[in-house]
Amino acid sequence: MSKESLEHLSSLVDGEMSRETGLFLTRRLTADADMCDTWERYHLIRDCIRQPGSKQIVTGLCVRLMDKEEAHTQSAWQSSWRRNSWLKPVSGMAIAASVALMAIVVTAPQQEQIPGAVGDTELSAQANQPFVSPNTLPLAPKSQAVSYSASQQANLNNRLNAYLLRHNQMARTAGRQGFVSFVPIVANPTIAAAELAENESESVKSITEQEVAENK
Amino acid sequence: MNLMPRRALLLLALISTSGVVAAGGPSDARKLLENMTSAMSEMTYQGTFVYVRGAVVETMRITHIADATGIRERLYSLSGPQREVVRDQNGVRCIFKDSSSVVEDQVVVSNYFPELPLSVIDSSASGYSLETGGRTRIAGHKARLVSIKPKDKFRYGYDFWLQEKTGLLLKWALLDANHEPLATLVFTELTVGSSINVAEIESDSRAEDFIKMKTFSLENTVERQSKPRWQPEKLPPGFELTSHNRKSGSDGVYEHMVYSDGLAAVSVYVEQQAPGAVIKSGVSQLGTNNAYIRKRGELQITVIGEVPALTVRTIADEMARAVASN
Repeated sequence: MSKESLEHLSSLVDGEMSRETGLFLTRRLTADADMCDTWERYHLIRDCIRQPGSKQIVTGLCVRLMDKEEAHTQSAWQSSWRRNSWLKPVSGMAIAASVALMAIVVTAPQQEQIPGAVGDTELSAQANQPFVSPNTLPLAPKSQAVSYSASQQANLNNRLNAYLLRHNQMARTAGRQGFVSFVPIVANPTIAAAELAENESESVKSITEQEVAENK
Repeated sequence: MNLMPRRALLLLALISTSGVVAAGGPSDARKLLENMTSAMSEMTYQGTFVYVRGAVVETMRITHIADATGIRERLYSLSGPQREVVRDQNGVRCIFKDSSSVVEDQVVVSNYFPELPLSVIDSSASGYSLETGGRTRIAGHKARLVSIKPKDKFRYGYDFWLQEKTGLLLKWALLDANHEPLATLVFTELTVGSSINVAEIESDSRAEDFIKMKTFSLENTVERQSKPRWQPEKLPPGFELTSHNRKSGSDGVYEHMVYSDGLAAVSVYVEQQAPGAVIKSGVSQLGTNNAYIRKRGELQITVIGEVPALTVRTIADEMARAVASN
């Protein structure tokens, strides 16, 4: 996948894409499984950043998108879809919106409305607004210690992997036995932002002079 | 005639009694850890293990060959995204098939033994307490437990289950201050010595086929300098400087320090911020590793290690210029 495609996906996830381009890209996702997987992973990364450890993170967006597209294609065929080509953009919006709604229904059933999510009846009224990729988590993150867009996050991921590689090469201790220290690099495809618990922040200040003296 | 058997019995009783006492003590635990350190680098082994972190369970395979040509190692995932780490005389390469990218570091380490002697971790001033535990069987091998508990919140604890015969690691657990597991690794199958399948050391991925990620100013060779120009004014108890590298070139200054308490290690990178780089201060998690990034003028300070977030943040906040730069 090209760097340009990755940037487009990142913009889609961040809601920084025009409606027309967003709809075009959404249709492309239904035909490109790799791209759709990346799009879903970007959502996961974003959700992890917003709420590390959240149980509301949704997976399977690609499968749902594909299912919707398939269902839509079948119904459109029956209703002379080909003769009404002007319907295509609207159907794209409907697919994207329904995926967004599914995500909202699954993740936050008690919430009536989430920014970026639109109902089918509101589609025409919002046609000129920027396209927003499905929000799988509410837009009120509990932790914003470190917040990056998906592409920035990918860049940070590479940087931290490089730091960790060098660290693993140079830091030789009994607790870091050979391959064991490299396992998190192989195992962990995403990086989550974390925030110190309040009591831990206090502990930062509590390194006493005595402890420091003992250390010297 | 009766004296000899009686003496022999007494000697046997003394040996067995001292054996029982030593079996649970820190010195015995230290000896087992020393065996593990030697075995993990000097032996040839191959196996499949399960890695559990939170709700995520992954399977991986390791092939480690130590022979006349040196040490070669290949670690790769059997589940999830295809990823692998290869270590040999050319350094270390990390191939991520899921993002078609490769991250390389051509620094070659010839000595795999700890910088600090293991005796530091069983002293009274150490941040850990050591003890040996029971015996069990893992992947068909007899195993012995060595348990290391942290005395404060600046470090994690460890449980090592070691093969009794060789000291090879059979099971590993990283534990928080409450002795709750953060991650566990356990072999389901392990072959030792000449019966391994040597062909598995060869990767089926060529680094040239992937996008090489240019990440930051890591160089193949670095100047060593005795005194770091940046140092923390305070360190969490038990941590001390064990390694230091510095480079100064057209792309700015790069300085790398490693601090260790004998078991855990923390790296501190001080470097010029890359032009246009979007850096935000804060803590990030990379698996069981925590990283803390902070900006200091035009410099970026990154602290990373398999320690609690509290520790990386403490060290990052305490970093100060020790001597004037050139």
